[in-house]
Amino acid sequence: MKNQSQSHHRTLERFQVSRRIGWFDRFMNHFIVVGGLMVIAAVMGIFVFIFLQVAPLFHGAEVKLLSRHKLTDTVDSVVAVDLDEWGELPVLIQKDGSLRYRDLKGDRGIIENGQVFQAGETLSSIHYNSLNRLLVAGSNSGRFAYAKVGYRPEYDSLSVRTVHPDVTRSDWFDLSGKGERILFVDYGEGDSNKLAVGICLDSEGNRHVRAVSLEQDLSLFGEGGKISLGARFDLTEAIDQAIQQIDVAPDGGLVLIVAENGEVFVFFNQGGKLELGQRFEPFGDLPDRRVGGADFLLGDTSAVFTGWEGENRVYSLSLDRDKGKRLYARTKEFEPMPELPEGYFPGVRNNSFLLVGNHHASLRFSTTESIRWQRNFEFEIIRGLIGEKYDRLGFLDRTGTFHLFHLRDPHPQAGLRAFLGKVRYEGQAEPDYVWQSTGGTDDFEPKLSLVPLIIGSLKGTLYAMLFAAPIALLGALYTSQFLHPKWRDHVKPTMEIMASLPSVVLGFMAALWLAPLLDTRVPSLLLVLLGVPCATLACNWCWGQLPHRVRTSIPAGLEFLLLSPIILITCILCWKAGPLAEEILFVVTNPETGERVADFRLWWPEFTGATYTQRNSLVVGFMMGFAVIPVIFSIAEDSLSNVPKSLRSGSLALGASRWQTAVNIVLPTASPGIISALLIGISRALGETMIVVMATGNTPLKDFNIFSGMRALSANIVVEFPQAPFQGTLYRTLFLGALTLFIMTFIINTMAEVLRQHLRNRYKAVR
Amino acid sequence: MNPQWQNRAASRRRDPRGRDYISVKDYCFWFGQAQVLKGLNLDMQKGSVTAFIGPSGCGKSTLLRSFNRLNELNPQARHRGDIAIEGLSIYDPAVEVISLRKRVGMVFQKSNPFPKSIYENVVYSLRVAGENNKSILDEVAENSLRSAALWEEVKDRLGESAFSLSLGQMQRLCIARAIANEPEVILMDEPCSALDPIATAKIEELIHELKVKYTIIIVTHNMQQAARVSDSTAFFYTGNLIEYNKTQEIFLNPQNDKTEAYVSGRSG
Ligand SMILES: Nc1ncnc2c1ncn2[C@@H]1O[C@H](COP(=O)(O)OP(=O)(O)OP(=O)(O)O)[C@@H](O)[C@H]1O
Ligand SMILES: [Mg+2]
Repeated sequence: MKNQSQSHHRTLERFQVSRRIGWFDRFMNHFIVVGGLMVIAAVMGIFVFIFLQVAPLFHGAEVKLLSRHKLTDTVDSVVAVDLDEWGELPVLIQKDGSLRYRDLKGDRGIIENGQVFQAGETLSSIHYNSLNRLLVAGSNSGRFAYAKVGYRPEYDSLSVRTVHPDVTRSDWFDLSGKGERILFVDYGEGDSNKLAVGICLDSEGNRHVRAVSLEQDLSLFGEGGKISLGARFDLTEAIDQAIQQIDVAPDGGLVLIVAENGEVFVFFNQGGKLELGQRFEPFGDLPDRRVGGADFLLGDTSAVFTGWEGENRVYSLSLDRDKGKRLYARTKEFEPMPELPEGYFPGVRNNSFLLVGNHHASLRFSTTESIRWQRNFEFEIIRGLIGEKYDRLGFLDRTGTFHLFHLRDPHPQAGLRAFLGKVRYEGQAEPDYVWQSTGGTDDFEPKLSLVPLIIGSLKGTLYAMLFAAPIALLGALYTSQFLHPKWRDHVKPTMEIMASLPSVVLGFMAALWLAPLLDTRVPSLLLVLLGVPCATLACNWCWGQLPHRVRTSIPAGLEFLLLSPIILITCILCWKAGPLAEEILFVVTNPETGERVADFRLWWPEFTGATYTQRNSLVVGFMMGFAVIPVIFSIAEDSLSNVPKSLRSGSLALGASRWQTAVNIVLPTASPGIISALLIGISRALGETMIVVMATGNTPLKDFNIFSGMRALSANIVVEFPQAPFQGTLYRTLFLGALTLFIMTFIINTMAEVLRQHLRNRYKAVR
Repeated sequence: MNPQWQNRAASRRRDPRGRDYISVKDYCFWFGQAQVLKGLNLDMQKGSVTAFIGPSGCGKSTLLRSFNRLNELNPQARHRGDIAIEGLSIYDPAVEVISLRKRVGMVFQKSNPFPKSIYENVVYSLRVAGENNKSILDEVAENSLRSAALWEEVKDRLGESAFSLSLGQMQRLCIARAIANEPEVILMDEPCSALDPIATAKIEELIHELKVKYTIIIVTHNMQQAARVSDSTAFFYTGNLIEYNKTQEIFLNPQNDKTEAYVSGRSG
């Protein structure tokens, strides 16, 4: 009875899944799902992180109101408004030469600084240059003086800062020499030039354009020498038009004189002379050619012009090849202002400038030709400013109220145009793709084109694949289809050891051993590349001529034992014969000595016009190829070996040779796997870093010359990241480089995957 | 047929027994250490159908694959003894494997069409032999497909992938492919094992027709099939040839107990 029920129970149980197995099965299901999701989440997380790092590069400027302060009731007397670098002490510069400060931080309220310029002269003109903070005054008696409107911070015991005005004034210098009244005067001073140019009105009512250079005695301590009058120039004759505006470059190196008809006269201050170097019309192609206003950008070589319809152009000095001197040429064209621009205010930190007209303000960035920010205010703007640290914007309205804004624009140099477009940077004759992130001088513009880096990456990959793909694929084909199985079992592990070589070791070898070795032996290498295939083909032909009794005496798959010594000997012979070939083929005249020398390194530039460097793409191609070969080889070998044996024996049984079988049956069937192998090789080469860093000079170039170096995107990150301040433009641009690499890999992957699916559908073997 | 095959050096070594088209002499075969065939001796006549029967693993396929030296793909394979076709040893150093395989075609147990079109599958052997004349290829393709009783079914879709065929059609395609090479011997390794009775009947019919032109060796587990298609039957057991005789004799009057047990379905 008891027994029966037990056996009955047991039969039921037999058909039930044991609870433990069921539980484990469910657990594993969830575990795999969670694991998979986590992997996807991790990849997405990296992507999102990079994306967040990069995104700010493409944002415009953010401008937020900080405060409003009434500064004056009489705006008509205001020449300019300026601000200290901390944004605490704005100053109104007034027509009578007095300065009126307003303490925004402390409780000092309005600070009147009184007259800057000494009494004894009657001011007849006043002009403020915000780029170098110079206030220039002219007098009734033909003299001029200038004052530096500076600031001086003072820190108390608690490190609390108080900003004080710090104004230094020059002596009066005689511009006119004849006691004429000065209508307008501007002054600029650099290390080598100090130049004042002005318009004087003589007693008969005639106007004269007069200029004078100042000279500074070199004091013993290099500074503070006495300044005295130098040469005097009269430009009146040179200018046959009514003058509208005079602008002396902040470094005193040249002066722009804008005529009322829209012509601009450029006088260069060089070698103690002030000569008319160029006459041009910035808006000569427009119906209304007149110039509304002109002023300089930071860096003294570019000038911003506005036209009468709100047009806005930048002209820069660059070397004109025909005339052999530096001339102004149009470099940028901005979108026109919706309002007629009435005020121009340059930034002193970068190539930004502010245009205001009526209620409209527009912050523009010259290098990238972009409008960073613009707005229509309810108040009428009469003066504006850009904070010294590019972190403040200030506007003075018609009622005398000063509106101070916080400016947040950390990456003005960035933008799609800067990264991928041709940009004309200062000093360049043509727009170009340039990567140069850091430079020696303060007013250096970072040049952030990714194009040379992308080209560098592609170039390295191309040469590596040119070298690696044929060797790896043919090697895999040979190993899987022809080589004796006993040897085959040794080849794969060897290849895998090769794959595990750290790339820094390969890069080290490339830089210190291969590059110097190949440097003098390029002809040898070319001979080897030519000789080995020829020798192999010749051997094959001879082999075919032998009676097949002899041929069958070598077991299938061991033929290479015969061939390899021949190839080795060919290699050695070709290598030795290299210098001989050089003597015959690569002879050039050494430009220094005039002798005929056999040197490939000289021949290549002479013959192709391209450069030759020791650490070139050939070396990279070799070494990176070396790193890539095992990867391609093992994947390709796997997929070739995985071709169903039945297909192979089917082909062989029909009397096809091993080669015919390999090419007609095995290769097409394995083609999806081979595409994968190539793809992984390309990805590896694209991402490869240390070899490229060490084996090239890391110069960002834009050519595919095999004997020049390059800089790859990946290498760029390694080279630049020590210089990249956290979350700065360069920092984010490096992330953009990483993202670009990611996208490139993604595109290549996608293309290959599509091709692979296509091939797989076409060549999928049954079952 | 093949000049290399019939060169003078070879003809001097012709076996005096001549009459027997294929002769296996003391043939032993090893995969590594394991002996698979143990000293086989049998002769086959030209234009006959010989059936190989025996329990699974007894070495029928191995022997079959020895005739076109396909076992050599396995590096472990070793043999002793000899196989001669028309008196010439297939292991003669003067014999090229390629020409041997052109002479001895094979149809595999598992149909193995190439990942190509139906047409290209059929003319594959001509293509690898260097024949590219379109009209010749077309003619051979049609004749072979007709011989394999497949022509009517595929004549309108020759350009389609061979994988679009049914299993039975694929097997007949493989037969057509073998026929296109114009072999003298056709080896068939369980050609019908994956087929339904109708397709099997078609292939058996086909074997009857082919017998006129070709010498056929067929491996089968189907006793009725062996009885229907073959002239002689060889029964193998663990690498030994137990009995070899006219098919009728084997089935109606087996001399060996094992044979009797096997053909009557009492063992294996
Ligand atoms: N590649 C191989 N390596 C080692 N042993 C093998 C190999 N192929 C076959 N064998 C062995 O050789 C013996 C004969 O195999 P074979 O395939 O000839 O048998 P068979 O008679 O064709 O069997 P079946 O009827 O199942 O096809 C078997 O014992 C098998 O295990
Ligand atoms: Mg078998």
